[in-house]
Amino acid sequence: MASRRNLSMLMALVGIVIFFTLHPRGAHFLSAQNLSNLSIELSITATLALGMLLVLLPGMIDLSVGSGVGLLGGLACVLIIRYGWAAPLALGTATAVAVAIWWLMGTLITRQRVPAFIVTLGGLLVFQGAHWLVIANTTVPVTPGGVENVYALLTTYYFSPASGFAIAAAVGGCLVVAELRHRAARRRHGFKLEDGEVAFLRLFVSLQGLLLLILTMNAHKGLPLALVILGTVILLVQVATQRTPWGRHLYAIGGNEEAARLSGVPVERTIVVAFTLLGLITALTGFLQTAYGGYSTTTVGKLMELDAIAACVIGGTSLKGGRGTVMGVVFGALIMAVLLNGMTLLAVSPETKLIARGLVLGVAVWMDVYLARRAAAA
Amino acid sequence: MRVDTPMATDAVLRIAGLTKRFPGVIALEDVHLELKPGEVHALCGENGAGKSTLIKVISGVWAHGSYEGELTVLGQPARFRTLADAEAAGIAVIYQELALVPDMSVAENIFLGREPTRGGLIDWERVFAETRELLRRHGLGDLDPAARVGDLGVGQQQLVEIVKALAKQSRILLLDEPTAALTESEVAVLLDIVRGLRARGLTCVYISHKLDEVFAIADRITVLRDGRTMGTLETAKTSRRDLIRLMVGRDIDQQFPRRAGTVGAEILRVDDLTVTEAGRRRAVLEGITFSLHAGEVLGIGGLMGSGRTELLMHLFGAYGRRVRGTVTFAGAVLGGGAPDATIRRGLMLVSEDRKRYGLVLEQSIGFNLSLASLRQFTPSFLLDGHAEFVRNQELFQSLGVKAPGQESVVGQLSGGNQQKVVLGKALMTDPKVVMLDEPTRGIDVGAKLEVYNLVNRMTDEGRAVLMVSSELPELLGMSDRIIVLSEGRVGGTFVRGEATQEAILQAAMAHHAGVPAKE
Repeated sequence: MASRRNLSMLMALVGIVIFFTLHPRGAHFLSAQNLSNLSIELSITATLALGMLLVLLPGMIDLSVGSGVGLLGGLACVLIIRYGWAAPLALGTATAVAVAIWWLMGTLITRQRVPAFIVTLGGLLVFQGAHWLVIANTTVPVTPGGVENVYALLTTYYFSPASGFAIAAAVGGCLVVAELRHRAARRRHGFKLEDGEVAFLRLFVSLQGLLLLILTMNAHKGLPLALVILGTVILLVQVATQRTPWGRHLYAIGGNEEAARLSGVPVERTIVVAFTLLGLITALTGFLQTAYGGYSTTTVGKLMELDAIAACVIGGTSLKGGRGTVMGVVFGALIMAVLLNGMTLLAVSPETKLIARGLVLGVAVWMDVYLARRAAAA
Repeated sequence: MRVDTPMATDAVLRIAGLTKRFPGVIALEDVHLELKPGEVHALCGENGAGKSTLIKVISGVWAHGSYEGELTVLGQPARFRTLADAEAAGIAVIYQELALVPDMSVAENIFLGREPTRGGLIDWERVFAETRELLRRHGLGDLDPAARVGDLGVGQQQLVEIVKALAKQSRILLLDEPTAALTESEVAVLLDIVRGLRARGLTCVYISHKLDEVFAIADRITVLRDGRTMGTLETAKTSRRDLIRLMVGRDIDQQFPRRAGTVGAEILRVDDLTVTEAGRRRAVLEGITFSLHAGEVLGIGGLMGSGRTELLMHLFGAYGRRVRGTVTFAGAVLGGGAPDATIRRGLMLVSEDRKRYGLVLEQSIGFNLSLASLRQFTPSFLLDGHAEFVRNQELFQSLGVKAPGQESVVGQLSGGNQQKVVLGKALMTDPKVVMLDEPTRGIDVGAKLEVYNLVNRMTDEGRAVLMVSSELPELLGMSDRIIVLSEGRVGGTFVRGEATQEAILQAAMAHHAGVPAKE
């Protein structure tokens, strides 16, 4: 089932890419410059979606992250521009605020038993209002008059071609070492080993993909910092969900909360931590998104919660909780990012864009339900 | 008594040469079954023998064409495509899991989906009048049609479910483990209802793991093993031993192989424990006192609602507020901690409802086995997946879980194998005391035996077991000592060998005021 699902998603992506490429106005879709932009947009969408995954796994939801992106990005802008704070201090403060707010929301949801849907729906409105209040309904840039700061560099810094290759080599080396250690451990415990050639091929394809990515990025300005940030987030979320008891607990709560509780899972604490981390990721996304636009306005972050949820669902995350993978979510985010980027390139009207986003979300959920039913019937 | 058909001796339902295949498995192979009018026909077999599949074919869940063989109802070939087709032919199924809406009244539930209307609006007067009449006819006259179903006990809910099925003018009633959640007294009421149905000419198919019930109620028994019919027996001419041999394919000599070991030091002491439900004042448990020693099985008897489950849940840290009394565990006071703290101290609970409270059904066997013990595999911050896998594999093999591997999804296992996984999860936490709530509910003879052997293994390893059971033979057969709860208080204490079924039932009623009809 899972593999059929993956295949149909891959085909959907290929189909979308072909459509945009062949479209008369989409000639630049596969240009190095657009792919470079796309990679930054993907970084933003995927980072937020990975945060969303953390609360979807235990069967929760967060509708407030889009407004949160706007508020936190705007807050940092205002601290820099109006109050003259140093960028790192402003970013740090906004991050701390985010962590505190999301901890509070998580606490309300678990200890006071207010449904996550309601708490975060309230958050959506409150943060949007707060965002407009903070920027006083104006446009606030991320950096004062052309001076470069850390904030702006988040999406404008590119690694030089040489450092790009160095980073790729480091990542590739890590992949190889991880695979070798995994095989060694399996051999030590006497488990069946995957066919060596299959493992080699998989590794080989990954390394080639990595090389292709760097070559493409270097053809424009180089490897974007945003993409490296995404890589780090992927690694951290992957390790946290797959290799820690906390991650295991997320899946258990989503699968059967009562059984989890009676198995000694600290349900409340686990969920509060998930929301707190989502707050952290929302702040990061807020900085990336605002920096990408160059300034904070009232529309920054709008509807990004839905893109994040759509990315998760397209990637196979269950809205009921208990099911979802990091790579699936990244793939879902890629589909969303490609769609949005392509539509912008084709100069699709905003109204059509909204309708397309809504339909994609609907179709993704329907496919999820449909495939689950097919699997149950088989 | 039967007047509606002149061919009263003909089969009501006949199945010939039924074969049902799933990808890679043959669930049923050349199955034959014949139901006579007005008989109670028991269907026996171990979990996985094909009983559920057979029920699904008869009730239209598996559509005509998805199986080979013939299904005839009242002499007519039946080609059910949906549940509704089967229902129209007079076939109704009562499933193990209740299909009632807890927030609706008894009457609303009984008429759900076919509410009589007058001028487009529901004719409530008729709904309630007909419900009252139906209840009265089936000996449930004292049940209020307006009562909220969620407020009824599980037993009464089951009876409502049956009345609901009967309200649809069914001729054949399929009862799938109807007594799995009932107490002895409720079982008696249910058996009476079934007898009443038989007297009125209805045909009942009765599926149960409880052989006592099968022998009490069935006229004939058809045995399935590994998807094949092993034969149909006349109950009157069959012994228990013969039936078990036919089901299992071998002799099971010892039904309750309790092997009492050496009793060690006192590990758990409960003194004058009084507990109220959070936010309420009425005591659910009152003045409970007992002690438990290492290597010992202490059985806890009592009727449903007597506070047995609440006692275990309270000790585990998952229920109620302690107003009086102390609990001493391994030399220190136990109280107030949540389950995670309790587990860490060495007290583990296996809940009575493995699907709701025991397992994450969509996850693998391994995931479930290690869920309560992840700490053991987390030396620093990261899980040692290989160590976990190795430990899971050890348990998976020593428990004898029947599955391709520990990656198999738990939800697809049979009840007995799921129960082994829950017990394995408890074992992995290395508990000093294991609390088992109805450890053999809804599992077959062979799997029960394995659970009992596991209990023996626990006490051999020096653990103590606290076991709640509604099945008196099990309680008597597996406990070294027994305390019986009655209305939240201790109604009697017994030592192995001294207790009898009568004495335990008497103790269970000890604190009942008046008629013991309340749940």
